[in-house]
Amino acid sequence: MPPPPDAESPPDVEGWLARVRAGDQQAARLLVDHLYPQVIRIVRARLPRRGGEEDLAQDIFLKMFTRLEQYQGAVPLTHWVSRIAVTTCIDQLRAQKRRPEFRWADLSENQSDVLDAVMTSENDVAANDALAAHELVHKLLDQLKPDDRMVIQWLDLEQKTIAEICNLTGWNTSLVKVRAFRARRKLRKLFLDLQNKEHA
Amino acid sequence: MKPIDPDHSWKRLTAAARRAPVETVTAAPYGFATRIAALALAADHSGRSLFERFALRAVGVASLLAIASVCVNFSALTAEADEETIVIGDDPVALLLGPIE
Repeated sequence: MPPPPDAESPPDVEGWLARVRAGDQQAARLLVDHLYPQVIRIVRARLPRRGGEEDLAQDIFLKMFTRLEQYQGAVPLTHWVSRIAVTTCIDQLRAQKRRPEFRWADLSENQSDVLDAVMTSENDVAANDALAAHELVHKLLDQLKPDDRMVIQWLDLEQKTIAEICNLTGWNTSLVKVRAFRARRKLRKLFLDLQNKEHA
Repeated sequence: MKPIDPDHSWKRLTAAARRAPVETVTAAPYGFATRIAALALAADHSGRSLFERFALRAVGVASLLAIASVCVNFSALTAEADEETIVIGDDPVALLLGPIE
């Protein structure tokens, strides 16, 4: 059995890949442990609720191993795995049943206060309402198409650049911009509808 | 109260959301990597061997059947082809127009 990797030395990803292709389970375990932090960050950003994140991560890793023969090393392994993670998350969002309409009545008291604050006052949202704001953002994002949702989340919530998004997804710049535009238009409409309902 | 531009509202909302605490634990749960490795490699081996075994056998059986069917029906096929030639030769339009030079 090969010795365990030294914590100080850089991970021998290429070596692990070769051993996985030869059917070595220990190398597969090392690869999963190495890639897990990156995959789980992508999964958690798409799923605000904790339930199901491990199942989704499992799906992503199983897809990765199934397609490992297709990986030629043209892009870094982390990018390649990120793309699998992103497409799996998009598929998961598509598979979810259509969300009900976004309504004031469905919001918690904190979420309602936050929404009211950002729509009607120039004051900053209180720091202790950050979690409610986070949940509210995800409720609004749930109203978007999965692809558009991902783009606007990266741009506005995670503050990634368009180049980073292209790298992460393999989409071209125009496609990312179109998706961002569509998402912003939909969000604008949602806010206007909410304002109209509040004032009605 | 004067409503605020929706784009501005969204910016402020996302700015507030970014201050929410993030989950810092990113290590794989105990046993996760072992389970994935076992599932992935088991699926890989069984899937490939089953496919290979059945695909190769299917190709062999299909080839034998094709050759056998051609051999068995060879005389019938050639006879049918001769009949078709005769029918074409007896075509009244062909007879009327005469042979094509």
